Amino acid sequence: MTPQLDRRSFLKAMGIVTAAAACGGGGAGAPAPATATGAAPTAAAKPSGRISVYSALNESTNNQFVAAFKAATPGVEVDLLPLAAAGELQTRIKAEKASPKADVFIGGDSSFHDGLGKDGLLETYESPAASAVAKESKDPNKNWTGFYFGIFGIVMNTDRVNKEVGGAKPTSWDDLLDPKWKGKLILGSPITTGGGYIFIATQVFRFNKDEAKAMDYMKRFHANVAQYPGTSPQAIQLVSQGQFVAAPNWAHDILTEKVKNPGIDLAIPKGTGYEIGAVSVIKGTKNPVAAKAFVDWVLTKEAGELNVKLSNRVSVRTDVPPAPGAPTLTSVELVNYDRDWAAANKDRLLKLWQQTVGI
Amino acid sequence: MTSLRREPSLLLALLVVTGLVLLFIVYPQVRVVATPGGSGYADFFSGGSWVRPLQNSLSVTALSTTTAVLLGFVYAYAMVYTDMRGKPFFRLVGILPLLSPPFVVAAAYILLFGPRGIITYHVFGQSPNILGLFGIWGVQTIAFFPFSYQLIADVLSRSDARLEQAARNLGAGPWQVFRSVTLPLTRPGLGAAILTTAIYVLEDFGNPALIGGLYTVLPTQAYGLISGFGDLSGAAAVSTILLGLALVIYVAKLRLDGGRQYVTVSGKASSIPRPPVPRWVSWAAFIACSLCALVILLVYGTLVVSALTLAFPTNLGFTTQHFEYVGAHSLSLRNTLVYGLVAATLSGIFAVLAAFLVERGRWRGRRVLDFLLIMPAAVPGLFFGLGYATAFNEQWLDWVDRGALITISMIFWNIPVGYQAAVAGLRQIDRSIDEAATSLGASGLRTFRDVLVPMLGGSVRVGFTTTFVRAVTTLSVVIFLFTTQSTTATITIFQLVGDFNWGGATAFTVADVGMAIIALVVIAVLGRGRVSLGAARG
Repeated sequence: MTPQLDRRSFLKAMGIVTAAAACGGGGAGAPAPATATGAAPTAAAKPSGRISVYSALNESTNNQFVAAFKAATPGVEVDLLPLAAAGELQTRIKAEKASPKADVFIGGDSSFHDGLGKDGLLETYESPAASAVAKESKDPNKNWTGFYFGIFGIVMNTDRVNKEVGGAKPTSWDDLLDPKWKGKLILGSPITTGGGYIFIATQVFRFNKDEAKAMDYMKRFHANVAQYPGTSPQAIQLVSQGQFVAAPNWAHDILTEKVKNPGIDLAIPKGTGYEIGAVSVIKGTKNPVAAKAFVDWVLTKEAGELNVKLSNRVSVRTDVPPAPGAPTLTSVELVNYDRDWAAANKDRLLKLWQQTVGI
Repeated sequence: MTSLRREPSLLLALLVVTGLVLLFIVYPQVRVVATPGGSGYADFFSGGSWVRPLQNSLSVTALSTTTAVLLGFVYAYAMVYTDMRGKPFFRLVGILPLLSPPFVVAAAYILLFGPRGIITYHVFGQSPNILGLFGIWGVQTIAFFPFSYQLIADVLSRSDARLEQAARNLGAGPWQVFRSVTLPLTRPGLGAAILTTAIYVLEDFGNPALIGGLYTVLPTQAYGLISGFGDLSGAAAVSTILLGLALVIYVAKLRLDGGRQYVTVSGKASSIPRPPVPRWVSWAAFIACSLCALVILLVYGTLVVSALTLAFPTNLGFTTQHFEYVGAHSLSLRNTLVYGLVAATLSGIFAVLAAFLVERGRWRGRRVLDFLLIMPAAVPGLFFGLGYATAFNEQWLDWVDRGALITISMIFWNIPVGYQAAVAGLRQIDRSIDEAATSLGASGLRTFRDVLVPMLGGSVRVGFTTTFVRAVTTLSVVIFLFTTQSTTATITIFQLVGDFNWGGATAFTVADVGMAIIALVVIAVLGRGRVSLGAARG
């Protein structure tokens, strides 16, 4: 599709909207969220046309999510580009900056969105619906808005835990240092997975940024670790198969796997870390009205409930109940996770970790 | 080949080939290499995080290449020289490891041979730690021996049986024939096989990512920098190291070749039967090939069983529900087939033409073109795709179809195998044949088309097959290029794995591999038909 065509269809849409507004407007009955701000002249535009959404959400979540958005927003077509790897999508958006192909980037920890925002590749947008989101869960620079939390936990192979390590669920991260776990633990590689790094950062925050203590922990933990697999889902898969006994990993993904294999279980130690899943609008989008309408919809209660149902993640909205059995930010004891500090010190901490454990 | 000045058509061909190489191989890579900038490189290299992955990459490349080439040679020798049974079966099984979409096959190895593997634990009661160096070594040996097998078999089958018969008639034993006739004749092919295998092992990402564990190699480090951190700059610096290593391997290969040429006159090996090998050699070859085939079939058998069970290995109830994903994602399967076939055809043609221009040419700078044609093998797919996404994503190029761009990336990323095969093939055809054609009045290109190409059939096939299977199985090249309409089977598999849908992923893999095998068989049947037609006409 050429840019001209896009502009033309956009202008046509504008014309229709203007005409509709002249006739009294709002006849569609759908609450036009953008009108709430009432600031920009384009705010009254009804979303239409086509948007391209780069999504790092799970495949099963994607399809129903987009279908629900289209049902709620008639007239907007969504071209979904699913890739459950936020880093690749971030890199792809960087590589495409000469001629952006995406309008919206959804899913993945806010650090992936934040990096793009700092490179000037995101459109600042504060959705009216973001008023329901606590200020800790959205970017002060308005580049991105959080819409879910992912909480870090431990996946365990129940049978092997019962037979080999006494059956008790770990309640603190220090429990994993017991020699009985030797050779039975795995952790998604801190170098190649976001979760692996969040694990290290969590330890640093647990010791009030005393890096020496955190590295001492990582060194003792390393003594029990058999492997650092290359992807997070792989680590869950290996424990599910019984190749290894336990692995720190994402609670929502563990619950998803548990539906398929009841032989695994989830534990959440006290002082755990979490990610904020974000959504953002790409700078240079040819359809800002529809892109923003998508963000508005993602932040609704309805979308929050759907995401919880499909992925077991926790909504940022306090009026959306968690999935049955899923931990929430209030049901677990969180570490004081300093997101900006974790992002700024990532390279340095990883090098320190590599030196500490000698890999 | 006559001089370029006297043959404008030849000059034109050279210009076109060079132009395409510059545009689709060099330019995208320059864009990637230029990404970090001076300070980016300074930061990265002073950081030192690349030292251990570099050491690891070198070790694993040396180990895996050695075993893969040895196994490939045994397999090729068995297929070409012995009269062992079941050759069609072994030929098909030998191609299977090439058809390994990333993630799924290496995962099957863990299911079979992991700490709680079906074979290792449930049969033998052992809990080996297969992740790490030894795991990579084992899996890469199986994964890459088919490359060297194909290249070596192509060369062996063209070595002149008459020379071997003559040697036997003069009283040489089988071992002496092998050592002093067969081996020297296959030297250029062996060199090419070792070089190509080494470079593919070096850039391999999928296997180390799944089996590597603590053992980080350069491609997995680069992937981590992109995937975990979105650090394009650091990742590009790693890619530059890989390119540097490829250059070193290339220079080593030039010295190895040392200008010595071993020439047999024609590719018509069938004119006279090869001298029989001793019975025990046939049997040994049969046993070696059977062991290889057993491991390969176990791995693919695991995939088939996974695809047909509810939740392998915890719930073994039979189901066909996973195959519903195949229907739901038929677009990606169709795209994969179309891109693969188009890319393989064009890549095969281009590789042979380029090999002819380089190998038979006497113009200056052909060594540079030679290196550029081998270089893509050293570029991890991730960077090849990234280079395309960076270089060709411009507003004025928005009319270019993404499917076409993906196909072009597959053509040029896969040039090296077909090109190496064609060069090895050309070296075994005496220049006097070209000269005979030229003195009868044929132009350079005519000689190429009517004399050399028919004799290079095997090399064209190697290029075609390799490009096709790699196009069908690559994830990394397309990951930055695919769109909703131009998605591929490997993307779908990646999605399903990430979605904890192991059953769906294996079902889709079975469908993808099955489709590729059917396509290859159909092409082989059609191809043979055309060859015999051509022969009848001649």
